[in-house]
Amino acid sequence: MITRRLYRALDSRLGTTSVGRTALAKVFPDHWTFMFGELALYCFIALVLTGTYLTLFFEPSTSEKIYDGAYGPLAGSEVSSAYASTVSLSFDVRAGLLIRQAHHWAALLFVGAIVLHLLRVFFTGAFRRPREINWVIGMTMLALALLNGFTGYSMPDDLLSGTGLRIIYSVVLSIPVVGSWIALLAFGGEFPTDATTPRLYISHVFIVPAIFAALISLHLAIIIRQKHSQFPGPGRNERTVVGSRLWPAYTVRSLSLATGVLAVVFALGGLVQINPVWIYGPFNPAQATSPAQPDWYVAWGDGALRLFPRIEFHVFGHLVPAPFLPAVGLGTVTFMLLYAWPWLERWRTPDRAEHQVLERPRERPWRVAIGAWALTFFAVLLVAAADDIIARLTAMPVTGILRTLQILVCTLPFVVAAVAFGVARALKAGTASSLAELTAEDVRAGLSGADGPGPADEAPDQSIQLWRNPDGTWRWRWSGGGEQLTSNEAYLSRDEAVAAARIAFAGVPIDRADPPEGVILPGPRQEPGWGTRLAAGVVWVALAVWGRRRSKTDDRTEV
Amino acid sequence: MTSPPAGPAGRPGRRLLAAAAGLGLLGMPVLAEPVPSSPTAVPSPVSSTGPTGPAVPASDPGARLYQQSCASCHGMTGEGSQRGPALSGVGPADVDFQLSTGRMPVQQERYSDVHRDAVFSPTEIDALVDYVALFPPGGGPQIPVVTAGDVRSGRELYLTYCSACHSAAGVGATLNNGRFAPSLLRATPTQIGEAIRVGPGLMPQFPANVLGDRDIDAIATYVDVLQDDRGNLDRGGWSLGRLGPFPEGAVAWVIGLAALLLLARRLGSRAR
Amino acid sequence: MSADPGPMGGERGAVRGIRIAFGVSVLGAAGFAVVYSVGGNTQLLGVGLGVAFAGLAVGLWLWGRHLLPSGGYVEERPPLSAPPQQRGLLAAAAAGPQSPVRRRGLVGMFGLAFGAIGVAMLFPLRSLLPLRRPDPVTELRRTAWRAGGVRLVTPEGVPVRADDVNSQTIQIVVPEGHPKDGDAPAFVVRLDPDRLTATPAGGLVAGGLVAYSLLCTHAGCPVALYEQTTGRMLCPCHQSAFDLLAGAKPIAGPAARPLPGLPIEVDADGYLRARGDFTAPPGAGFWSRP
Repeated sequence: MITRRLYRALDSRLGTTSVGRTALAKVFPDHWTFMFGELALYCFIALVLTGTYLTLFFEPSTSEKIYDGAYGPLAGSEVSSAYASTVSLSFDVRAGLLIRQAHHWAALLFVGAIVLHLLRVFFTGAFRRPREINWVIGMTMLALALLNGFTGYSMPDDLLSGTGLRIIYSVVLSIPVVGSWIALLAFGGEFPTDATTPRLYISHVFIVPAIFAALISLHLAIIIRQKHSQFPGPGRNERTVVGSRLWPAYTVRSLSLATGVLAVVFALGGLVQINPVWIYGPFNPAQATSPAQPDWYVAWGDGALRLFPRIEFHVFGHLVPAPFLPAVGLGTVTFMLLYAWPWLERWRTPDRAEHQVLERPRERPWRVAIGAWALTFFAVLLVAAADDIIARLTAMPVTGILRTLQILVCTLPFVVAAVAFGVARALKAGTASSLAELTAEDVRAGLSGADGPGPADEAPDQSIQLWRNPDGTWRWRWSGGGEQLTSNEAYLSRDEAVAAARIAFAGVPIDRADPPEGVILPGPRQEPGWGTRLAAGVVWVALAVWGRRRSKTDDRTEV
Repeated sequence: MTSPPAGPAGRPGRRLLAAAAGLGLLGMPVLAEPVPSSPTAVPSPVSSTGPTGPAVPASDPGARLYQQSCASCHGMTGEGSQRGPALSGVGPADVDFQLSTGRMPVQQERYSDVHRDAVFSPTEIDALVDYVALFPPGGGPQIPVVTAGDVRSGRELYLTYCSACHSAAGVGATLNNGRFAPSLLRATPTQIGEAIRVGPGLMPQFPANVLGDRDIDAIATYVDVLQDDRGNLDRGGWSLGRLGPFPEGAVAWVIGLAALLLLARRLGSRAR
Repeated sequence: MSADPGPMGGERGAVRGIRIAFGVSVLGAAGFAVVYSVGGNTQLLGVGLGVAFAGLAVGLWLWGRHLLPSGGYVEERPPLSAPPQQRGLLAAAAAGPQSPVRRRGLVGMFGLAFGAIGVAMLFPLRSLLPLRRPDPVTELRRTAWRAGGVRLVTPEGVPVRADDVNSQTIQIVVPEGHPKDGDAPAFVVRLDPDRLTATPAGGLVAGGLVAYSLLCTHAGCPVALYEQTTGRMLCPCHQSAFDLLAGAKPIAGPAARPLPGLPIEVDADGYLRARGDFTAPPGAGFWSRP
């Protein structure tokens, strides 16, 4: 009652009804890989929530102060405020360590989710027209995520992060011509200076997150405007979106995913120690700790620094230092290629059409091969960043491991790419629906370059029916290929329903006969999957055990 | 291969665990290498004591153990051989360190950075230490007496002098040529003091004018904190071996993202 | 109904399962609050909050799976681009007779003015590096040792005497009065002059004392791992190795230049003093490095 009145007040002021109706009925495709972007979004929310709490305690300054908290070995030491407040957060602020660690774990998961999302978009061709803008925005967000991850890692002013900051400073210094100016302008002087930490802080908690929030809004606004892409299937064409509606199915699912992210973030934050800065000690330019690695998402750059041979050269009498090619060069080339990918692919293929229906990866063996190449390349670099840890765990000389990885980084990507190419060709040529079903004939057919049947054409038996609900509203339903799809909205008039159906399925005949009145359209139903059954079974057993116990104790009390 | 005559090694408690201290090895891989830790170690002139070693009764347990387990490589009078460095003048600290961390006697052909439980019992080690000390010219660093020190200055000294190799977390790190600075997580205070004074293996040696006795007390006290005996150091949870961001990244993928992918997979449908 | 769906089957079962999951969530939240009140053990707090959110996640998942319609809906997707007539109308509205875009000259001047302001706004960026400081290249080339006669002190501030430096370990030193300078850390070590295969850049004093910059010439990390028997310095960041016996030249890893030497002398009181700056700018390389 009250809700109804409140809503009426809102509607009379903002006119929310038609927007609201469309929004609630918005259809999302059901495939699970479409949730990676959402994962990243919820990691971002977890980061904002935990990060806001941390700002209440963190002091972004390198001015010296005496730490006098509960961590004994540091008590009485004069350290920077940034370091002291971070140790305080871990030892003296109740629940502070949980939030700090949860924040750091959320950051690691955040970039991971972005990368997964990127891979899904890449391998299914979701970046093609009309989605190039969102590809570029997404790339920018990936770059910003790396940047913000690194500034966050660097702010506590501990020995490990100070070392990392020094390496980045050296990398910036290595840029030809302008390197020393950029580095000293950005850091506020020669490393280390008191100017750096406040700059890292304002960038980490305000500038980059604000840009991020704007870009996320833009990313989502564009996807709402363009509507989701979808995998091929019955009824899925360039003029439809098939799946579940925002309300209620998708809302509940998405909330489940959001709470799932928070559950993982806080469980890791409480149970697995991350970045124990009190052990690393405060930064001091003359001290070092080993092993020294950055967080995983920038470790590929560190791996490249380790693997790249000792090459320094002079240009017109000026030095191009060793870190330039592996760090600045590789990073620039990587992001330029990523940004340019939609146009690179368009340049190499004649395909310029709009695509709302995705490709299965196998349909583009070359794209699969290139993606596999890049993934392997960066994976080897990631491993290379841990060469000293591997040397230690295997008791092998680190130089031998380096040499091996240098060979691997030049060869393995090609091997993996070739295999991926072959598999994609075989899948494309044959009828196997997954790797497990691949047969020798498929592989042979793939090698000989045969093309398989390709995606099935639209079923010939399509039809559209109109329905009139008891309340006088109208719906339409498409059937074909053994599947029935119901219109996402209820329409006020028959003409509206017909118009919508015409847009979605232009050539399909509409049953114009007046539909029987009062027939209630049943919603789609579905069978529970094995996971549901398994979970239900577990809960069932638990309930049975619990019930039995209770009856036993009841017996006992009665006796 | 020398086989220990004695039963289970065991000074009680930490001593047993001591093996780790690892600060390198008496340095000497079995094949001859320069002998850094004992600059004075020249094969001792076989003087009046004769070929059977210092003038002690053969029934002395130190002499007996030495002849059984050490003499084949280090020589009857500690003069050294192709297979092992000279022991004259190395000092009790070095001998005690090598024996109590299980580095000596070597159990495989090659001297390894991996440390083990001590082969000899504390009494036997004491006897061997006393016996080796009789080799002329004697001298060398004595076994330091390490007591509780100031943990704050211990932390600062540790980060200045030790963390570059042994890692700020005390878990050790990789050096060149397949060698590594061992973990300190099992080292006893005495062994830490010995290693600082002796400089076993590749480790530098820190004389009293660089690190005084009070400094050693402080460092040993801080290493005790790193060993987490008070249970407060890894308060964040599972420490992942304190190996830093690399295992953290692995956990983020293998546990965190894997769990979230499973959930997403349950929430969404699969490809048809 | 052909078969009994069991206690967790059917709609009633699903409702029960969801109720249990949300109940677990309440317990987790309560546990979190209790743990916080009695001291806040990080692990228990994490478990409490994790269970609370996991309960919600499971409950919502069951809800979506069993009680809500899933899939089977279709939404029409109208074409994004408008028909040509509509685009024509937009063009007419935007570029009509009085439209500002028709006054090319004015638009040009507007762009110029706007651009000029934009360029002017770039100037304050220069303030990111204080103007009283020397320009970056000079700053990178110089260190606090430059003054000459600066005493070598330990990071704790104790002046180092020549006699204090032994052959067993390196002594990390900083310029007296500049303990936190990022570019100044150096180390002194006593080497056996007979084992040297190259003359140290900074010279050899007091029968074998040499001093070098502590910073790796690759990416500037402190090269603080000293292998006493081999006379090598190792970098913990990217595994470069420098041979002190051969003039601190790089022998492994990505570093390409030797460690710059620090010229030192022994003063009348036996203390070590720098005769001047490093023989080359310390740390990572840069474009204008000589």
